[in-house]
Amino acid sequence: MRIIIFSWEYPPRVVGKLSEHVKSLATELAANNVDVNIVTYDDASTGLTQESTRVKTVRVANPVRTHIGVLTWVLTLNQEVERAASNIYYQAAKQIDLIDVYDWHFIPAAVTLKNGLGIPFVYSVESLEDHRSQALNTAYNMAIKSIEWLGFYEAQKISVQSDWMRDEIIRIYKVPQEKIVVIPFDNPSSHTKQILSLFSGVTGGAKIK
Amino acid sequence: MKDNLTVMMLSWEYPPRVIGGISPHVYFLSKNLAKQGVKVYVVTCDFPDAPAHEVVDGVEVYRIDSYKNPAPDFATWVYLMNLNMQKETATIAKKIGDKIDVFHAHDWLVANAGIGLKHVFRKPLLVTMHSTEMGRRDGLHTTTEKMIHETEAWLTYEAWRVICCSDYMISHVKWAFGLPNDKLVMVPNGVNTQCYNNSEADLSGFRSKYALPEEKIVLFVGRLVYEKGVHILINAVPKVLSKVNAKFIIVGSGYMKEQLLNIVRSMGLEHKVFFEGFVDEETLLKLQKCADVSVVSSLFEPFGIVALEAMAAKSPVVASDTGGLSEIIQHDVTGVKVYPNNPDSLAWGITKVLLDNNYRKQLRENAYKTVQEKYDWEKIAVQTKRLYESVLGEYSKSFWA
Repeated sequence: MRIIIFSWEYPPRVVGKLSEHVKSLATELAANNVDVNIVTYDDASTGLTQESTRVKTVRVANPVRTHIGVLTWVLTLNQEVERAASNIYYQAAKQIDLIDVYDWHFIPAAVTLKNGLGIPFVYSVESLEDHRSQALNTAYNMAIKSIEWLGFYEAQKISVQSDWMRDEIIRIYKVPQEKIVVIPFDNPSSHTKQILSLFSGVTGGAKIK
Repeated sequence: MKDNLTVMMLSWEYPPRVIGGISPHVYFLSKNLAKQGVKVYVVTCDFPDAPAHEVVDGVEVYRIDSYKNPAPDFATWVYLMNLNMQKETATIAKKIGDKIDVFHAHDWLVANAGIGLKHVFRKPLLVTMHSTEMGRRDGLHTTTEKMIHETEAWLTYEAWRVICCSDYMISHVKWAFGLPNDKLVMVPNGVNTQCYNNSEADLSGFRSKYALPEEKIVLFVGRLVYEKGVHILINAVPKVLSKVNAKFIIVGSGYMKEQLLNIVRSMGLEHKVFFEGFVDEETLLKLQKCADVSVVSSLFEPFGIVALEAMAAKSPVVASDTGGLSEIIQHDVTGVKVYPNNPDSLAWGITKVLLDNNYRKQLRENAYKTVQEKYDWEKIAVQTKRLYESVLGEYSKSFWA
């Protein structure tokens, strides 16, 4: 199985807890013979690419430096994510089984790659705009929510860590319950097993090499 | 080998959605490319009552939901619209199979969609830069303007070729984004001559609503804003009237209107200068056909389509020697060029044209011939098709092919 993980933070870039979480998952998946590619945001202390044993990392920087807000910043960065993911796709002879997307930032890229190249994606939810903004609902928050909605709509499966988050997504976005899988992050090895079974369900049973 | 060259055109406006000059440009270019056997898809923004998919003159037009995401401001709306445009275009491209040869984007308004699609499908991206943020704003003053400028720079960086509609724009774009010469191609804007042939032949009844038979008609078409230089024309009015009896008809609107009216009133020439405001398409075509001279007194003009329209309507043109106008008009042959920002020079040009019937006839004929030879959409489409082919030739030797 060959996958790409999209996350806007990955060590050494740490914004919240997502960074370490994605790293430990990637390492676990690689240990289980999954070919893991990370596409993440540039960090001044690293190069553009990094390869550990089986986890390959590509870092992209924003082609537009001046921005009026996080939204425009994220939206222009997505084309670089598409470029990086497409390069991985073509170099791997078009054999990418799925993309795992962490939070809303790179949902636009995942949606285009799904519709253009037929790569399914899993939307892994850490947090929601409604909770971050306390349901502020300005045009700015609504725009982010509309990107989250697009992710829920287009994703093959949605992965969350708690029943509470599953219920919140159902409440706010009216997503069918069957689409959401709850995988708690209490025990790393059982967590990885459940993620693997989620992935192979999405890819229609793609073999782990 | 596949049969047709296939292009996916991205534009934020396409008829009936008309905001500026890109809409008619993309309409005529696509239609004439289709006539040349190119398979053209246009992906554009939606418009009330316009279908989501239709075939217009052999062109497949798709309209996307451009207001799907709420947006806090115009620039953010553009990037969010691009998200949907890219997603929809990717879906269409996948549905029709591996058939797209090139993506062709028009202005920064579709930059993100075009750049992403280029990488996802690994096909060359061409861009037509109709204008620049620097030119529109006369510099970069705000964060939004800088962001748009950098987006334009990014788009021209990612593009295989950058098309501009005049040599003036080529040099401007080259300087603004630091582009190499061999990346820039000049393909002029076209003008539709057909619409002028279609309208009725006898316009004397129409003309009498605007001017007395002994009065010549001097026509100005443009927004009443500083850079269009309409105030230069107003200042030239008494100078012209001292030599020839004429009526000045000003079509267009803008923030300078009140100020201009006051000047005309203070000169006591309200009976000689008419402010028509916006007029409908048909009235405009007729006015252009009736005009004994069309004046383009702009201080800044990237291309100058209004001069070409006058030439297509067989109305002699007097224009200021600046920007794209300098290239369109050949002095004494296809029109009269005058010093920009100079009412005396402008009055001289207008008077010269109005007083000499033979000269007027000559300018008319030469100008119309030039329009047909150089600014004909069919020829421009052929030029554009050749450009696609040469890009594809280079592409076929790249590792993306």
